Amino acid sequence: MSRFTHLLPAALLALLLTAAPAGAIEKASIVLQWLPQAQFAGYYVAKDKGFYEEEGIYLHIMSGGPDVLASEYLETGRADFATLFLATGIQRRATLPLVNIGQFVQNSALMLICKKSSGIEKVEDLAGKKVGLWANEFQIQARALFKKRNMRVTVVPQSDSLDMFMRGGVQAASGMWYNEYHTLMTYGLKPEDLTTFFYTDYDLNFPEDGIYCLEKTANRRPELCRALVRATARGWMYAFNHPEEALDSVMKRMKEARVPASRAHQRWMLARMEDIILSDQVPSIGVLRQADYERVVKILEDVGVIDKAPLFPEFYRGPVR
Amino acid sequence: MEFSTTKKDGALVVAVEGRMDAITTTEFDAQSQTWLADGEKKVIADLSGLEYISSAGLRSILAAAKQLKGSGGQLVFCGLSGMVEEVFNVSGFAAMFTIHKTLDDALAG
Amino acid sequence: MKSLGIAAKLALFILSCVFVIVLAIVIYNYAYSREIILKQAEENSRLLALETTSRIDAVLSSVQKMANNIAFSLEDATLTREEILDLDRRVLANNPEIYGMAIAFEPYFLEKDKLFFAPYHYRSAGRIAFTMLGGPRYRYFYMDWYQIPKELGHSIWTEPYNDEGGGGVLMTTYAVPFYRTVDGRKVFAGVVTADVSLEWLKEMLQDIRIYRTGYAFLLSRHGTFVAHPDRNLVMNQTIFSLAEEVKSPALWRIGRNMLDGKSAFVELDNTVSEDERYLFYTGLEYGGWSLGVIFPKSEMLADVTRLSNVMSLIGLFGFALLALLIVTISRRITRPLSRLSKAALEIADGNLDLVLPETRCDDEVGRLTKSFRTMKFSLKEYIDNLTSTTAAKERIESELRIARDIQMGILPKLFPAFPDRTEFEIFASIEPAKEVGGDLYDFFFVDETHFCFLVGDVSGKGVPAAFFMAVTKTLLKVVSERGLNPGEVLSKVNSDLAAENESCMFVTLFLAIIDIETGDVQYANAGHNPPVYMPCGGAPEWIPPLGEPVAGIMDGMQYTTKSMKMNPGDIIFIYSDGVTEAMNPDKELYSDERLMRFMSDARGPFAPKLVKDLDASIKAFARGAEQSDDITMLAMQFMGKCKK
Repeated sequence: MSRFTHLLPAALLALLLTAAPAGAIEKASIVLQWLPQAQFAGYYVAKDKGFYEEEGIYLHIMSGGPDVLASEYLETGRADFATLFLATGIQRRATLPLVNIGQFVQNSALMLICKKSSGIEKVEDLAGKKVGLWANEFQIQARALFKKRNMRVTVVPQSDSLDMFMRGGVQAASGMWYNEYHTLMTYGLKPEDLTTFFYTDYDLNFPEDGIYCLEKTANRRPELCRALVRATARGWMYAFNHPEEALDSVMKRMKEARVPASRAHQRWMLARMEDIILSDQVPSIGVLRQADYERVVKILEDVGVIDKAPLFPEFYRGPVR
Repeated sequence: MEFSTTKKDGALVVAVEGRMDAITTTEFDAQSQTWLADGEKKVIADLSGLEYISSAGLRSILAAAKQLKGSGGQLVFCGLSGMVEEVFNVSGFAAMFTIHKTLDDALAG
Repeated sequence: MKSLGIAAKLALFILSCVFVIVLAIVIYNYAYSREIILKQAEENSRLLALETTSRIDAVLSSVQKMANNIAFSLEDATLTREEILDLDRRVLANNPEIYGMAIAFEPYFLEKDKLFFAPYHYRSAGRIAFTMLGGPRYRYFYMDWYQIPKELGHSIWTEPYNDEGGGGVLMTTYAVPFYRTVDGRKVFAGVVTADVSLEWLKEMLQDIRIYRTGYAFLLSRHGTFVAHPDRNLVMNQTIFSLAEEVKSPALWRIGRNMLDGKSAFVELDNTVSEDERYLFYTGLEYGGWSLGVIFPKSEMLADVTRLSNVMSLIGLFGFALLALLIVTISRRITRPLSRLSKAALEIADGNLDLVLPETRCDDEVGRLTKSFRTMKFSLKEYIDNLTSTTAAKERIESELRIARDIQMGILPKLFPAFPDRTEFEIFASIEPAKEVGGDLYDFFFVDETHFCFLVGDVSGKGVPAAFFMAVTKTLLKVVSERGLNPGEVLSKVNSDLAAENESCMFVTLFLAIIDIETGDVQYANAGHNPPVYMPCGGAPEWIPPLGEPVAGIMDGMQYTTKSMKMNPGDIIFIYSDGVTEAMNPDKELYSDERLMRFMSDARGPFAPKLVKDLDASIKAFARGAEQSDDITMLAMQFMGKCKK
């Protein structure tokens, strides 16, 4: 009798476990590294279209911002997943055991922007000029570039506005192709008014947004990681194919977050995201290539940001192709 | 038919031209009544311009002559030729009236 | 068009003219009023914008002055920490338009051990609150309000921003760098800032209502909408992102001009906004901002449109009234005309007793009706006359016809007249002219062996001639039967006719008597055309005239009797002048010559055939010309022993 009474809950448990892949919803959370915008359209679309639920995930999306460090959320356990630049991920690996489970942005959108009127035509012309640079990981490529070219520039910490650049306080400003570049367009500048330097054009391509989690999460919940990347990839593809619907999702979140929102600007951003996510050099969406990883590691070591880096398989636990 | 009347040496010269038939003779009749009313004594009918005369025309001439004679006058003819002269001959008018060859002869006679 | 009635034509022409005139007035009025309104609108918008900008500039100007003064006083290096805090607080207290004020120093500048030194007084719940800015999370050295004046070396107005700490209030900050002399060198020491809430500005602009939907908006230095009735645009869009959204290069250009501080009054087409609008824009003196004032075109022109509509309506009403009037008047004119026209048709159909429509007035139509009435009466009178005249004429004509029938009836018409006689063949014909004429012929036996035949022609025409002819014929017959010779017969008949012949009528006669056994012929001629003698087988010849006058005018005239001999087959052809004087349409006579030629050409002639052939010849010659005289022919052929 007692044997059977012991067996009953176990049988029920077994029943539940076998049913799990079909019906059970697993809770998870992700923190995106910046305020809501089309940079994260794929996540919002996958959430709004129910792609995560279809993969068995109830995903809670948190927004980052100037006061939020996404990697800290992983560290403190406030989020299961976080999006980070590859360079940020590699740097944080030194102190935090995190792994990359999917790389979405293949090409660096980071660039330097100058006004044509300032007379700057090539990188060398920046020597001795005031250059606005953001903090931390946003400076690495610039410093690598200046070091490689053996140039000295006056670095001016750049705020999150382009006001200084507009007023001529700096001759060059940092910008993301999908964001600040177009912001200048909305200030009444035209592409022909500007000179641009993309880091990708100077062998400094840093793949950017990727999904990270702690190593233990990847070990314990590998299926969740794979599902998350799958659903996110699906979300991106849907967003690229239905841009206006995707923009609805983005605009809704921007308004909720009381972030200045211009649909034209977000439309530009989404289009650029498509350019840098669907890179023709990468076999499929969400994959980190070893060559890219190793190039970034080398540059980080050259600039002196890191001493050593983990081997690629230790760092990358995402899809292979 | 056309008439033209002129006074010459106390005689009334009536020049008749065209055709004198049953229809046109009424004009001649009317014309002759005016001579009678004017009391003409000697009337010379110059028929040199007359192309044709019918029996009705002859009757008108006859009636005029008779009436003129009754009032003591005289109707003489001149300038007959061709068909008109022949008719005058056939009908015996040539024998009944005084006929001159020319107008001058008639004025003299 | 041609088939339209007078009323319709009149209405069409007049109304077309009136329509054009009314249209021209309305269009001119609209265009002219529109121009005036536009001019006024431009003037008003300029005034409105200038007033608004000067109000804004006044506030900004006072803030600027205040901040500049503080920056100037901070260059005094002797100020203590407390004095600085006090200054900051007092300025805020005395300047209600300032929302918050900070005096931010360079790192380790005022107090060597402190990275941050930035006292900040601000309004909170009606009181003045205080905090020290700066910390690891708020490194103010890198904020625009600090960094830009520092880098540029002059004061600035920051781009407006939503202040999260201040409850989402729209703010802008005036930041002035200040300097101190350290070791004989002028070095950058920090920044004084004065925060100005732009809520009053938003309210002020919101109060600007132009017509119903017109409004004012404010652009920041980079084109961001600072104030606009559409909340979605404020702080979210720039004029350029809006231009990109609505795909309007025109709006983009306007944005550029506005940011360049220009002023203009421009028309916006409906690619920029949902309806057509006018925009006046002008730059502000401070902050690099610019103000735009939108005039909704349709509302601006609403009064003009209403006026035009009312004018059109009045025009339309007048138009309808005029149309009614024209139709009524022209109906009044044309109704009697159409009645008259109907009456005229009826009169034409013969109803002369028709009563014509009455007309009361003495206008053209009245006079026409009167003329019509007169015409009707004249017509009626004329037709009555004509009817009686025609009746009289017809009676006369029928009487004449009867007279003619009687006249023809007394002539022997039956041929062959003597079928049992082989000694001779006689044939005669008379073709009467339209008018009653006086031709006659006759033939009869005087005794057993003597046969008399004659042809006569009474002068003149008509009933007198017919009577004269009948008398002549009767007399001839009576006289001939007494056994007298032809000359004696004519002499006797002449005497009888001449007695009491006041009308001077006369008759020409040819009368012959033949002894049908011997062929001896005796004849007399009273002024008749010479007959033709056709000896059998020989050439025809005239029977020469005797020059004896016509019968009936000379009483006591004695006619001669002539004799001749007819051989068997010989023909004597007697005719009236109707034969030789038959005329064709060219007024040519058949003539003696043509007659003689016909006679010569007749081969082996036979009396009836001769007459019929000659008749045919005359008809052929006349070619249908009207016959003016009777055509009478008589052919007497002596046969004797000659076979018929």
